[in-house]
Amino acid sequence: MNLLPLVLYAAAAVAYAIHFAKRQPAMGRAATTLLLLGALAHTFVIGMQTMEVRHVPFANPSRAVSSFVWLLALSYLYLELTTDERAMGVFILPIAVGLQAIPVVSPGVENADPVLDSPWFWIHVASLLFAYASFALAAMLGLTYMLQFKEIKKKHLGYLYTRLPSLHVLDAMNSRAVVVGWLFLTIGVVVGVVWAAEARALTPENLNLQAMSLQDPKVFIAVLTWAVYSFALLARRALGWTGRRSAWLSALGFVIVLLNFLPVSYFVTTSHTFQ
Amino acid sequence: MRVFLLGVSHRTAPVDLRERLDFSSRDLGGAVEAVATRPSAAESVVLSTCNRSEIYVASGDPARAREDLTTFLSDYHSLPASSFTPHLYSRHDEAAIGHLFRVASGLDSLVVGEPQILGQVKDAFQVAADRRCTGPLLSKLFHWSFVVGKRVRTETALGEGAVSISYAAVALARKIFGRLEGRRVLVVGAGETSTLTAQHLRASGVAEITVTSRTHAHAEVLATAVNGRTLAWESIAQGLATADIIVTATGSQRPILTRAQFEPVTGRHRHGPLFIIDMAVPRDVEASVGDIEEVFLYNVDDLQTIVNENLSRRSSEIELAEAIVSEELSKFAAWHRSRSAIPTVVALRERFDRIRRAELQRLDSKLAGLTPEARARVEEVTRLIVEKLLLEPTEQLKGLPDEETQAAYTEAMNRLFRLREGETAQGPAETAAEVTPADPHAT
Repeated sequence: MNLLPLVLYAAAAVAYAIHFAKRQPAMGRAATTLLLLGALAHTFVIGMQTMEVRHVPFANPSRAVSSFVWLLALSYLYLELTTDERAMGVFILPIAVGLQAIPVVSPGVENADPVLDSPWFWIHVASLLFAYASFALAAMLGLTYMLQFKEIKKKHLGYLYTRLPSLHVLDAMNSRAVVVGWLFLTIGVVVGVVWAAEARALTPENLNLQAMSLQDPKVFIAVLTWAVYSFALLARRALGWTGRRSAWLSALGFVIVLLNFLPVSYFVTTSHTFQ
Repeated sequence: MRVFLLGVSHRTAPVDLRERLDFSSRDLGGAVEAVATRPSAAESVVLSTCNRSEIYVASGDPARAREDLTTFLSDYHSLPASSFTPHLYSRHDEAAIGHLFRVASGLDSLVVGEPQILGQVKDAFQVAADRRCTGPLLSKLFHWSFVVGKRVRTETALGEGAVSISYAAVALARKIFGRLEGRRVLVVGAGETSTLTAQHLRASGVAEITVTSRTHAHAEVLATAVNGRTLAWESIAQGLATADIIVTATGSQRPILTRAQFEPVTGRHRHGPLFIIDMAVPRDVEASVGDIEEVFLYNVDDLQTIVNENLSRRSSEIELAEAIVSEELSKFAAWHRSRSAIPTVVALRERFDRIRRAELQRLDSKLAGLTPEARARVEEVTRLIVEKLLLEPTEQLKGLPDEETQAAYTEAMNRLFRLREGETAQGPAETAAEVTPADPHAT
């Protein structure tokens, strides 16, 4: 079921790449249309899964990845439609395609622990996934900022120079994405902590809940992520860390997010495996 | 009706002659009207820019038009024809059409791909159209040229990239800061290039321009010119602290802005980048200033390199643009040919219809017994037959591939149907046998 969105995202990625290289407006519109169709198909898939398991399909890592890709596609579409700037598509879509391949290859079974049967769970995971999607955007904006910064600094105005938005615009979009991501990350973490404490009181014998502490890698890295982005926000305001430094920070932050999201979720954590 | 063009441009005439043949500084509308009074010019448009003066006319007789327009140029500008005829060029038909398309797309400009020319072509047409000097042919031609110009602009990179140093500097500033509204500019030294750059920056909407110079009077002149303010030379540090963009162009033999001066105003004292444009030779800004993280330092050579790269990129787009021009040219030529088939088509229709009506009239007494409805039917059916017979020949005549074939076909039509002889007595009689048993519904 996750295949159709994947195919549409892949087609959109190709169209964005051609649009980036050849700068044909018609190809750009085609890319946006394909992405819109992909996001619609994906909405349908997630809707179906929600009806099937009677809650949003977040509990299994593969399905969480799929939901993350869906939120990323929606956030990117929002960014594109509000700024009328398509150049970033070529950087964002490969992430969507790469991650969406995971649920296609290993769909996973949504076999959730009854302890997750709580609205808190939904808010916790949705906030975090949305935060991660924002951070993915911020990281790509930061990456392109650095590439273009280098071209201008070295006085070697080449391929990217004629295609990317100005440094100022990239920096402003990066800042906005980090702020939004940080807000949702904070909400997600706070809700997680409150809800874990509540659930532990109700079902003290649950092994997952017992493992829920700062020593658990998933929890630890989430807190580390929060620290990195909080620093990025603070440094921008207090130390004047804009432009290249904030670009670096958002790229670093997203590497940590990805680390937490994929290898840690699948192999390391003991607290977040409600199967 | 054919398209004819006579003109001079930077390719054929020196600047002093172009100036003497210029229309734009005089009354352009009056000039178009004067051209339009010549009998050989059924429609006319005068295009005059600093690099060219061209007269486009729709004419039945290009040779005559050439003479008329040469006389007009001589009279209008009070110049002996011999002084400019060696520099004139003339084109007709497809060569003239292609020339206009190349002009409108910037291919014929001094700086290839410069953006103003399309607007100038539009203005020239508008002036002529306002004075009713244009007709169906030039209207179609000029509107077509606007499309060609736009296609070249959007489908090729012919007009991309700044091709002067000061524009290159402004383009870079935009790439760093996005929109320049709200940005603060410090100009150090009031030289010619810094003035030009400051003017471009002002036109781009920067919030504030501050000028400082060792000679305060120079600073004041420039500040007035760009609607800025002056700063005492001694307070330059204050200007460095607040500026987003610094333009320097002093005549100093040694660098006047050193890394030490920038240390206190960069790092955590600054939010966002600083763009320094060093227009001076020898340089005004120490090279090591460019090593500061948020500083982008460009000197004249750097900007010149960008300009050269842009120029060579533009010239690599010429082929693509020429392809668009020739594609549109053949489309326009096809339209023009289909138009020139119209007189033959019209004559053919008139001829056939005359025969039809004559036959109906001849049969009038035999049809007298019919009801009015039946008569109307006969009329309708005969008309439809004629129309259907002519449908295919009309399409074929309009779609002929070149002028030579067209001339041959026109000649053949004229002969076969005696189109040029007008009314002939024997016309209806010859075809009577074919028309008479036409309508089975008539009985």
